Amino acid sequence: MRRRWIAGARYAAMFVLAVAMLAPLYWLIVSSVRPAGDIFLHAGSFGLRTLVPERFTLENYGIMLHSDFPRAIGNSLFVAVTTVAFALVVNSMAGFAFAVFRFPFQRTLFVLVLASFMMPFESIVMPLYTLMRGLGWTDTYRALILPEVASGLAIFLFRQFFAAVPRDLYEAARIDGATWWQIYWRLVLPLSAPTIATAALMQFVTQWDAFFWPIVAASSPELTMVQVAIARNANLETTNWGGLFASASVSVLVAALPFLALQRTYIRTIMYSGFK
Amino acid sequence: MRAPAWVPFAFLAPALAGLLIFRATPIGISLIGGLFGTSLTGETVFRGFGNYAALVQDGEFWNSVRVTLLFNLVINPLQVAAAFGLAMLTAKPGRFVGLFRTAYFVPITVSIALTSVLWNILLDPGMGPVQALLRALDIPAQPFFRGQGQALGTIIAIASWRGIGYWMFFMLAGLATIPRESYEAAALDGAGPWQRTRYITLPLMRRTFAFVLIADTAANFLLFAPVYIITNGGPNGATSLLMFAAYKTAFTYLDQGRSLAISTVILVIIALVALVEFRFVRTEDAP
Repeated sequence: MRRRWIAGARYAAMFVLAVAMLAPLYWLIVSSVRPAGDIFLHAGSFGLRTLVPERFTLENYGIMLHSDFPRAIGNSLFVAVTTVAFALVVNSMAGFAFAVFRFPFQRTLFVLVLASFMMPFESIVMPLYTLMRGLGWTDTYRALILPEVASGLAIFLFRQFFAAVPRDLYEAARIDGATWWQIYWRLVLPLSAPTIATAALMQFVTQWDAFFWPIVAASSPELTMVQVAIARNANLETTNWGGLFASASVSVLVAALPFLALQRTYIRTIMYSGFK
Repeated sequence: MRAPAWVPFAFLAPALAGLLIFRATPIGISLIGGLFGTSLTGETVFRGFGNYAALVQDGEFWNSVRVTLLFNLVINPLQVAAAFGLAMLTAKPGRFVGLFRTAYFVPITVSIALTSVLWNILLDPGMGPVQALLRALDIPAQPFFRGQGQALGTIIAIASWRGIGYWMFFMLAGLATIPRESYEAAALDGAGPWQRTRYITLPLMRRTFAFVLIADTAANFLLFAPVYIITNGGPNGATSLLMFAAYKTAFTYLDQGRSLAISTVILVIIALVALVEFRFVRTEDAP
């Protein structure tokens, strides 16, 4: 009897928390399929109509398609995908070197790599901007992409994966006459699919969510990224609410779908890389 | 493994170049640039420690330091504790438990910028549905982001809405590594649920706690978007986090040298926090 009462209380708590966590997003997405005039119609007096739309429309998404938002989506996708492509090669190569070879300054270099991921990127945004201005790179895709390629955490994840591969495998491949590049590229990189998925997701989402660095480094309209576009839209006096909610919903979905699909792999790879 | 010395460095070169140019060089620029300033005629002039001397005497700067420390002393322990609580709540398998966990995870997929935009609308005093909900429940309207006493707390709340479900998953992974036998033995000895948590779960979760605390601190320490999008540092400096102060100094007051001096202060604080965390992790490894 007492046990059943505890189980009931547990489910009640889990349910209430789930509603609290999801309600804001539910309201966001429901608002995006309401006629623009209806969005705040019932917001002032809370009731069923605040939560359930009376009329359903996709016109907000049509408005969004004819605004400058598709350009921002294109920019963000381009920046995120390019970053991931460079990053996977660069960080896995470094992880391979740390895992397989013994070389001078190895410990020092590895500690510096670890330190770089304890240092929040925001902390160097202002001086990085000074550097970009000196190089003449402000308002370029380069400025948005290159600083996010080398990642301490990604290097660490790849190192942990490659270090767990049995040494015999490397030795045998060497005896068979494989070059180190072939061992890395053909033999072990293809084995590291979970680490590749985790690092790719992590860096894709970082770029898709990027806000602070883009407003500092690339403020021109042609280079506007998704988050910056949404925040600017929300700050205008004459806000186009329908378009705002539609573009915000798209932005959430692009990050949420791969995140939810890879959730298990992602958490496991990070946890079991030595933090456990 | 044996290989000519150039081989490992060839593999390392691209990543090290990236970290050197885009992480290490900015630190140097911050240290040196903080010693310079811009004269009224627009020339760069050497100020020595002038920027720092001016910061020390500036009440607004000290306010930003205070707000940043207060913010972090509240948000990080709060998120770690809440994530642990959620993990304990959802650890036992059962019907729909997986769905509940996923529900808590979903907010992390919303960017911090969009989190700010969304909650700014939800909590708006005029048209926000949350205010309407308060009215429906007969609770007086709250100022949230516009109240000097509530603004920082509200930012902490929305950042936690976004973060705790994510950290919960790391806590769950940590809980899963605790052997069942430990609990069974303790139960046989007559330990209740509270004692089992205190004497078995918590000690065996230390590494997980350390990891979540370090990663969470790095994520929260320099929160910028909510301040930029919602409060602009206000009301009356209540949310003027250091990162926003550095940004405003460079782009509103156009004082590059002073902005880099603030950046240097930020880097020093982060280095100190990292040192403390490293020590925490190391004592943890000792038996």
